[in-house]
Amino acid sequence: MTNRRHFLSGMGTMAGAVAGTIAAAVTGASVSKVAMAALPEPATQITPDTMPPLHPTTGRPYNPVVTLNGWTLPWRMNNGIKEFHLVAEPVVREMAPGFKAHLWGYNGQSPGPTIEVVEGDRVRIFVTNRLPEHTSVHWHGQRLPNGMDGVSGLTQPSIQPGKTFVYEFVARRPGTFMYHPHADEMVQMAMGMMGFWITHPKTKHPLIDEVDRDFVFLLNAYDIDPGAYTPKIMTMLDFNLWSWNSRIFPGIDPLVVRKNDKVRIRIGNLTMTNHPIHIHGHEFQVTGTDGGAIPKTARWPEVTTDIAVGQMRQIEFVANEEGDWAFHCHKSHHTMNAMGHTVPTMIGVDHAKVAKEITDLVPAYMAMGDSGMADMAQMQMPLPDNTAPMMTGDGPFGSVDMGGMFSVVKVRKNQAAGDYKDPGWYQHPKGTVAFEWVGALPEAKRLSPEGTQAAPENIKPEKEIEVQIRKPEGHMHHP
Amino acid sequence: MNYLKSSYAYWDIIYLLPKRSRGYIKRCSAFTACITLSACASFSQDGGFAVVQQTATDKLHKNVQWIKSDVDRQQVNDRNKELLAQALTVDAAVQLALLNNKGLQASFDTLGIAESDLVQAGRMSNPGFSFSRLRRGDEVEFDRGISFNIARLIAMPLTSKMERHRFEQTQRQVMMEMLIMAAETRKAYFIAVAAEESVRYLQQVKRSAEAGAELAKRMKAAGNFNSLQEARELSFYSDAALNLARADQARIRSRERLIRLLGIDQFSEENTGVTSFKLPERLPDLPDVLTLTDVKTESDEEATVINKLVVQRLDVQAAKLNTQQLAESLGLNKVTRFINVLELGGVRNTSNQQATQHGYEVRLELPLFDWGTARTAKAEALYMQAVNQANQTALEARSEIREAYANYRASYDIARHYRDEVVPLKKRISQENQLRYNGMFISVFDLLADARSQITSVNSAIDALKDFWLAQADLEMSMTGKPSMISSQSTVISVSGSAAEH
Repeated sequence: MTNRRHFLSGMGTMAGAVAGTIAAAVTGASVSKVAMAALPEPATQITPDTMPPLHPTTGRPYNPVVTLNGWTLPWRMNNGIKEFHLVAEPVVREMAPGFKAHLWGYNGQSPGPTIEVVEGDRVRIFVTNRLPEHTSVHWHGQRLPNGMDGVSGLTQPSIQPGKTFVYEFVARRPGTFMYHPHADEMVQMAMGMMGFWITHPKTKHPLIDEVDRDFVFLLNAYDIDPGAYTPKIMTMLDFNLWSWNSRIFPGIDPLVVRKNDKVRIRIGNLTMTNHPIHIHGHEFQVTGTDGGAIPKTARWPEVTTDIAVGQMRQIEFVANEEGDWAFHCHKSHHTMNAMGHTVPTMIGVDHAKVAKEITDLVPAYMAMGDSGMADMAQMQMPLPDNTAPMMTGDGPFGSVDMGGMFSVVKVRKNQAAGDYKDPGWYQHPKGTVAFEWVGALPEAKRLSPEGTQAAPENIKPEKEIEVQIRKPEGHMHHP
Repeated sequence: MNYLKSSYAYWDIIYLLPKRSRGYIKRCSAFTACITLSACASFSQDGGFAVVQQTATDKLHKNVQWIKSDVDRQQVNDRNKELLAQALTVDAAVQLALLNNKGLQASFDTLGIAESDLVQAGRMSNPGFSFSRLRRGDEVEFDRGISFNIARLIAMPLTSKMERHRFEQTQRQVMMEMLIMAAETRKAYFIAVAAEESVRYLQQVKRSAEAGAELAKRMKAAGNFNSLQEARELSFYSDAALNLARADQARIRSRERLIRLLGIDQFSEENTGVTSFKLPERLPDLPDVLTLTDVKTESDEEATVINKLVVQRLDVQAAKLNTQQLAESLGLNKVTRFINVLELGGVRNTSNQQATQHGYEVRLELPLFDWGTARTAKAEALYMQAVNQANQTALEARSEIREAYANYRASYDIARHYRDEVVPLKKRISQENQLRYNGMFISVFDLLADARSQITSVNSAIDALKDFWLAQADLEMSMTGKPSMISSQSTVISVSGSAAEH
């Protein structure tokens, strides 16, 4: 599938990316060309890289967002209606360098492309189903006619494989939204079908500030056995891959900003658990949810905001501290890649004598974990095929020991406006990096415990208690 | 039916015999001498051993020796030293057994005994002489008598023939024993080698479990394991130790059995200076192609092929000859039924008070029971019994060949499956598990459990390979005689569960 027609000018930066198709590892149902003739040519993305913002050349102007490791779907104007074409199909998504997943998504990627419209736009979305089973698209958070809500069976017939459906409604409310299937939802979302939707305000909105950089990404989770490619769709809670836009650290691009930029980050959670998203070096305010903008009086400063399942949050801050600031989910297991959750703790266990015996039997064995897990990130031993290490990432000072939902907000003084290119590692001013103390150490003063326990324990030593049961005899009388 | 004619010819002699015996002892001895001369049997050069040797060469491609002198013994000892110099091969084991197994030597001796019987049958038995002195009051009666078994004399050509049959039967039996012994040695050899191999693998399993147990103890000491987790790892270890003990027991049993068959015992005086045998580390590899494929149990010519093989079988041949022999003895009964019941003796009674009595007495058995139809019926029944037995032998032989062949094919397929599928798969699993250990997806305990499971599968592969070699020995045996078809007692090893299953 190739985009032969450039129905949009100003796509120069996108052109290379739009052409081509994913490796035909999996094929969906085919759609006849005749049926497609009247539709906008579907655009496809072949790389998981962060694409530059797509500035609108038709329709109402707006300040576009940047989708982390993603892209915005081009559209065409048709008699004043914005027409998009989403193609639901199997995709191969690179989740991190050297690790690809067989997912389902839209237009070549999972998540699907971000749809950006302006408040009041009449939007027509063609949805073509190239999956092996039926689907539908629910426009999460939108005000729309009930029949456009995309709940298969309830508000519409499902879209059968090979069929194209049309959704049409006016984007009435500005804000942050997402889209995902509402047909075999568990499977299709476990397989990665979801996308972002932004409705920009038509005019200056009192509660929606103009920002210099506007990032969006979805939180998603997968359970892919090490060495396998396809998620285990039946997993409910014990996922082993915690991703942002179906990418895991070190595959997640940094959020590059210019110093003193006003930054908005919009995050939607389509995993099965909550994620406390945390930023270093700055405080932010939650300025809106998928329900809309939050009144200014109701906002308070935070460095972490918890995003519950099915929720969206937009956070805003002024990036006025230069540096490479960690930005991550604060659940520490979510900043790890696949691991064995039943591996016992080896800390403090002396392997010395045993290791040799084990090596006799299992020659490639190496004792690990006796002092913690960090040695794992340093040893770089061979792993199963197509597997991202549990913890990895080379920073300027060594291993970052991270994975999963982790990225870096890079604040740079001389980053050009509109430039999202990675500026490299932060050059710290002299004397501003923690360093090793090489001088003498004074004897640490240990305080003697002064407190006493709140109450003495009342557990008495167990004693054999002889239980004598009196069986009812004759007529029992109450006294 | 030549013997009938000759029997009647002898009958004439028998008829004359009493008259002649009146000529007293001198004449008798003259007659005896005459009969002795007329008999053909004498000791052969080789004692009938050449056929046995030939069979050893043809069917086993081995030498066999009947140790009768110190020179023989020395030769055998030299050969032993040669054979024991390196790790024992199956051929060397069979050769050693053929040379040293005392049971086999004993059966060679049976051959000697049978030949003496044969020679004896061709000779007139010594005449019996009896003397008695009886006193009744003053009367003293001397009773002197000379007797010899006329029946035997008359039946001599026939009994000689039967003894010849018996001798041949003994020969066949000796050959059979030798072949069975060779087959059993082959099997015992494979079982012993496999048992040694198993012990080595189970030592590895034990070491793995030991490492796990040691690590578990340290985990407990560090506070990372609770008592239950520790106890589980320790129980793997104790199971592994038990399995090793069992395997070692099986090894000793199989080795001792081999010692008994080989007749090589380093502790016996006779073998002083003979070192004990050394078994190779591994069983011979599974052949890439089956060599014994001339038995096609599925094809149309099955019956033909198998019947051809059946005819070669010594037990079938023996059964056949047995019926012939019985047929002969049936005929023998018909013509000798008078003779058989006769025992003729010359008697002379002397008494100091009476004239010496001269005369003869003939004792007759009761012809009513043993002479007439009853006896014939028995012979016929015996004959029919032999016929039926021969039939059964042939049927069993056919079935045994089929079974042995099917077993051979099946055990080949199983062994090959182990070699080409099971073991490589286990190896792959181990490699993948290693990668998973590297990635912290599984623990070292899983890795050790996997090592145990891999070793167990290798051990099963050894068992399967051993079963193939046993089946091959059975198949080869089934073509010459009755195979024992006893598959080895496989060392049953319970696979220690994976630590991940906790």
